[in-house]
Amino acid sequence: MALLEVNNLSTHIAISSGSVQAVDGVSFHLEAGETLGLVGESGCGKSMTGLSLMRLLPPGGQLVGGSSVKLSGRELVDLPESEMRKIRGNEIAMVFQDPMSSLDPTKTIGYQVSEPVMLHRGASKAEALDRAAEVLGLVGLPKPKERLGDYPHQLSGGLRQRVMIAMALACEPKVLIADEPTTALDVTIQAQILTLLNDLKDRLGMAMILVTHDMGVVAGHADRINVMYAGRIVESTKTDELFSDMRHPYTQGLLASIPRLAQDNTQKLFTVPGLPPDLSNPPTGCRFAARCSYAQDDCRTEDPGLKGPKEHTFACFHPVDGPLDLTSSTTVADRSAPAAKEKRPLLEVTDLVKEFPVGGNLFGRNKAVVHAVSGVSLSLGYGETFGLVGESGCGKTTLGRMIVGLEKPNAGQVTLDGAQVGSLRGKALRRHRRDLQMMFQDPHASLDPRMRVGSILREPLQIQGIGTAQEQLSLVTDLLGEVGLPKSALERFPHEFSGGQRQRIGLARALTLHPKVIVADEPVSALDVSIRAQVLNLMKRLQASHDLSYVVISHDLAVVKYLADRIGVMYLGKMVEVGSGEDIYQRAAHPYTAGLLEAIPVPEPELEREKRGGGIKGELPSPVAPPSGCRFRTRCPLAQERCAEEEPAMRLFGDGHVAACHFPLQTPVSDTPVTVATPAGEAV
Amino acid sequence: MSETNTPAVSTETETETARGVEDVSVTIESPAGPEPAVPAVSDAGELQSTTSAWKLTLREFLKNKMAVAGVAILVFFVLFCWLGPVFYHSNQNTTDLLNTDGAPGAGHPLGTDSNGFDIIGRIMIGGQTSLWIGFAAAVIATVIGTLWGAVAGLLGGLIDATLMRIVDILLSLPFLLVVLIISQRYGANTWGLIIILGVFSWLVPARLIRGEVLSLKVRDFVSAARVMGGTNTRLIFRHLIPNAMGTVIVNITFQIADAILALAALGYLNFGVRYPNTDWGSQLGDAQSNLSNGYWWEVFPVGVSLVLVVMAFNFIGDGLRDAVDVRLRKR
Amino acid sequence: MAGYLIRRLTTAILVVFGIILVTFLMLHIIAPSPAITVLGPKAQPAAIKAWNHANGFDKPWWDQFATYLGHLFQGNLGYSYHLNQSVSALLTEKAPLSGLLTIASLVLSILVALPLGIYQGVKRNSFGDITATSLAMIFYSMPTFLVALVLVQVFALSLKWVNPNVPQDQTLSGALAGWPDLIMPIVALTLTAVASYSRYQRSAALDVLAQDYIKVARAKGLSERLVYSRHLVRNASLPMITLIGLSLPLLIAGNLLVEYTFNINGLGLLFVNSLQGYDYNVLMAYTLITAVLTVVGNLIADICLTLSDPRIKLV
Repeated sequence: MALLEVNNLSTHIAISSGSVQAVDGVSFHLEAGETLGLVGESGCGKSMTGLSLMRLLPPGGQLVGGSSVKLSGRELVDLPESEMRKIRGNEIAMVFQDPMSSLDPTKTIGYQVSEPVMLHRGASKAEALDRAAEVLGLVGLPKPKERLGDYPHQLSGGLRQRVMIAMALACEPKVLIADEPTTALDVTIQAQILTLLNDLKDRLGMAMILVTHDMGVVAGHADRINVMYAGRIVESTKTDELFSDMRHPYTQGLLASIPRLAQDNTQKLFTVPGLPPDLSNPPTGCRFAARCSYAQDDCRTEDPGLKGPKEHTFACFHPVDGPLDLTSSTTVADRSAPAAKEKRPLLEVTDLVKEFPVGGNLFGRNKAVVHAVSGVSLSLGYGETFGLVGESGCGKTTLGRMIVGLEKPNAGQVTLDGAQVGSLRGKALRRHRRDLQMMFQDPHASLDPRMRVGSILREPLQIQGIGTAQEQLSLVTDLLGEVGLPKSALERFPHEFSGGQRQRIGLARALTLHPKVIVADEPVSALDVSIRAQVLNLMKRLQASHDLSYVVISHDLAVVKYLADRIGVMYLGKMVEVGSGEDIYQRAAHPYTAGLLEAIPVPEPELEREKRGGGIKGELPSPVAPPSGCRFRTRCPLAQERCAEEEPAMRLFGDGHVAACHFPLQTPVSDTPVTVATPAGEAV
Repeated sequence: MSETNTPAVSTETETETARGVEDVSVTIESPAGPEPAVPAVSDAGELQSTTSAWKLTLREFLKNKMAVAGVAILVFFVLFCWLGPVFYHSNQNTTDLLNTDGAPGAGHPLGTDSNGFDIIGRIMIGGQTSLWIGFAAAVIATVIGTLWGAVAGLLGGLIDATLMRIVDILLSLPFLLVVLIISQRYGANTWGLIIILGVFSWLVPARLIRGEVLSLKVRDFVSAARVMGGTNTRLIFRHLIPNAMGTVIVNITFQIADAILALAALGYLNFGVRYPNTDWGSQLGDAQSNLSNGYWWEVFPVGVSLVLVVMAFNFIGDGLRDAVDVRLRKR
Repeated sequence: MAGYLIRRLTTAILVVFGIILVTFLMLHIIAPSPAITVLGPKAQPAAIKAWNHANGFDKPWWDQFATYLGHLFQGNLGYSYHLNQSVSALLTEKAPLSGLLTIASLVLSILVALPLGIYQGVKRNSFGDITATSLAMIFYSMPTFLVALVLVQVFALSLKWVNPNVPQDQTLSGALAGWPDLIMPIVALTLTAVASYSRYQRSAALDVLAQDYIKVARAKGLSERLVYSRHLVRNASLPMITLIGLSLPLLIAGNLLVEYTFNINGLGLLFVNSLQGYDYNVLMAYTLITAVLTVVGNLIADICLTLSDPRIKLV
């Protein structure tokens, strides 16, 4: 008998205009000591499945008759609420996504962790606090006894998620549901938390349901995987088999559209066209049919249902056989020699510094400074793409905003085509702005909700006084077509578009002024995987057809590596390494780069399993008081005394490959310090 | 099981560019022309139905029964006060000393007041004053507050700090006392009261709009306009004000309710408009001492009118705020 | 903590100074001299001029302001030319009764509104919530004096349970001896305040209920009752502290209207009566006291919030 047996679980949520079939006939089982991955894109019902198991539905949510959840043979669906409460937090516990909002801000962490112990074990306050200290130690909170009286706001995001985990584990539950436990965290912290969850699962002998959108996360940490699409499970099998021998076209498409680190970036990414269906009015038959290239008539009329042998079930009439052969995919326009046209760099950034004052009052006392960017230089050639990677707080976004002139640097210069941007004023500055445009991260915030798309796209032309109304309209219509949107979009408002469509509009807007450089700040990180690939392909295609240079900013190294010719790695306001995609991926010289690569989950189970326990330790130091010398030294496995005393200079490691480290992982070509980041093919 | 398909790599439809080019040759359609009903399909997925942000707000607002009731009550009172006198004639110019404090009955369905004026007719006249002063004062307050708050929020730094300290100081002044002191001298007529009430109630909207501007100005679409070279003026008029409009309109609604209440208090204490003109507060003030004589009709009909109108504005304000919120959540 | 208090006090003192200046200027512009009040409406211009000169009312305003400030520091609030009494004496005489009314209704309304608002948030859209919300909406839309008039009609005139007027005894002990007469004024003030507090408390409770940590508390297995008592009440009450601090001017305005309606011989009635004759020093003093109380109220609210919200740092 399985530990947890879920049969025909269906959850409907009543909304004003009907009801959403958020979870529809989901069945699976979970064995003791096993980790089950529940993956899918946003809105597929994976989180709702987790909440349904706990019977913690949002207002209007209801389990539909026929649903069954059995824990060690005991039916939970019809338990009275008072009995169900004894299960929650005791036998089934849950870890939620956002550690920032999941802890009560007015209660100490000791209290919050001890609360379930008092509740379920009838422990006294003192006993419960002892237990809390014990579990907090277990999850790796340093000096747990002393920190019992801390409040959540005193802890970093990573530590808060550890507290959340401690809270869930305090009563040693049989099943732990981890709902996107690391999505809100930086990649190095994510690796730490995932490793911790895995260790604890083994040590405590629990079973775990890992709910996530990230195929890389399940690849390394799940034993079996359920792939969900539009409220249903479409495929369920062992992790290795899913990645190497999937049968459902959705699984196949999903995996094929993820950019890989080892990918040839001249190739177009595979895309799954269209959008998931509206679950308040789902289509009959297979819900994926509308987006499936294998779909036939029977798919649209009949529900395929989960079939196949018990160890590998899938819901498809016309299953595929293993991963897509991507070698036949179209290549994007050949841009193998981007620097060939012009020798001199298009954009040069020299020693940029940005500091933000924090705190202090009207009289200017108690002023502290966040060192957001501390002397960063880079250069970008004509038609080249420069990628900037790093974790949150590394200064990459601030750097991007300084390049386009949204922030004024405290020191340093931005030079475009030989002209110093900082010295321009008035008309000259406005004229100059045409050459530097930006693409933003949040598709919901980057388009004015009060303007029609037509006005949004024409605004840059109006500001710059380019063309007559007629000419503007025709240019805008052209661009709309180029980014794959119909002309009718002109008359519509931003809220009528999906996230991916809005990013396309944002890109079209950036293109209206025929810029030389587009700074793209996390252009795809708010999008689902299948939509992400569409936008990445589009960016590549437009680069070729519009002679663009990009500065692409992202926390996702795979995205950056796919788009960029050269990559700069930033850490705490400093550039630590610059090189080609292959330099960074194959020959990383800086320990931080290597650690980052180690921490990034990739959708390859074997690689991921080998990596368990690797990655960077510790937390990001405060940018208000960055460490002396090398800023990475506090988390660096190779750090020595010298790293604290002396800031490492950039040294050359190969053609266009530089890094700032006293004890690099590669042997430098020469020991003389170099100026940062010359475009490829131009040795210093 | 044995049936497998040859994987057909799906790539973006290459026709889309061509379609875009085709469309260019078509000259501008009339913007008011109806949208083609054909769903626009491209690789970017289907587009949903088209509705403007305002229409969405309106739809959400109409779902709120209380808000709709508020509109109905308000429309009723506006018609009652301004169109009522056309159909319901009563002597409101000369006192009728033979008919003072008359109980409801023939000729005077709701009785007469201490000057012998017909109560219904009196409520119409008083309502005109109360509604007009409330509305005008709220508009003045909102305009001042919006400008003040927008300037503070947008410019930030020392200007913001100074402007908001001034607001803090003025907020600590007791509104009613200050307004009473000033209206003792300059009140007594409609415009005097409008200006006094308007000029002293812009503080809350100023804070509100400042908060809104602070959150709007860091949004990406404002950054986008900056990157294009948009000037501050353009940012304010094209982006910040249109987006803060929802908040401003909600505020006006509540502000009207508050101004009507404040005016009622002034009138009640005998500092409203002067005889022979009247407002609802003044009517209540004149009548309150007569309550113990049993002349309830001089107090409660006008009292109920006042409460209903204020409640209507509050309902409308609540409904608008929720509707604007829903729209915010959807975008 | 000490540093925080000092900084907060400095700001408060600056605000109070600003208030004194603004109030002084306002009154100065409106009524530059009380000469007419003192000398009577038939006084000759020459006599007025002489009186103004003798009493310093012909000096520039900053000079007069300096004098006023100087007196203020000595606790001298000036002289009521109308009532021929020192303002301080007048205030001392009338303050206790007004204070009693305001404090009693403030305490009562907090005791009623906070639990009521939480209940409404928890039982959103239940019969109880809808009833309470509707009643609150009615009282929220009703001027305090109209609430008072309704109470008079129902309980004094129709049911004859209490007197419609409060006897003219302005001493605290006298008023307390006739305490049943104070019920209606206090209830009128309380109803108005409860209406507005409970509205805010309800929406604060709804905000907190939508937070993730409430979901987490349920996932721990806490019963609804424990979820509310441990994780809702405190978090939802925090924003109320500031709100109550800010609502003091409204309470005082309500107090004024109620004193006028019930003919209670307190500060509010004194103020209304002083308006007629433009009794400069009384108007100034009462406005100042109210403003200072507001500043002090906000200060207390801030300190309370600092003490009860661990997120606010005491640096």
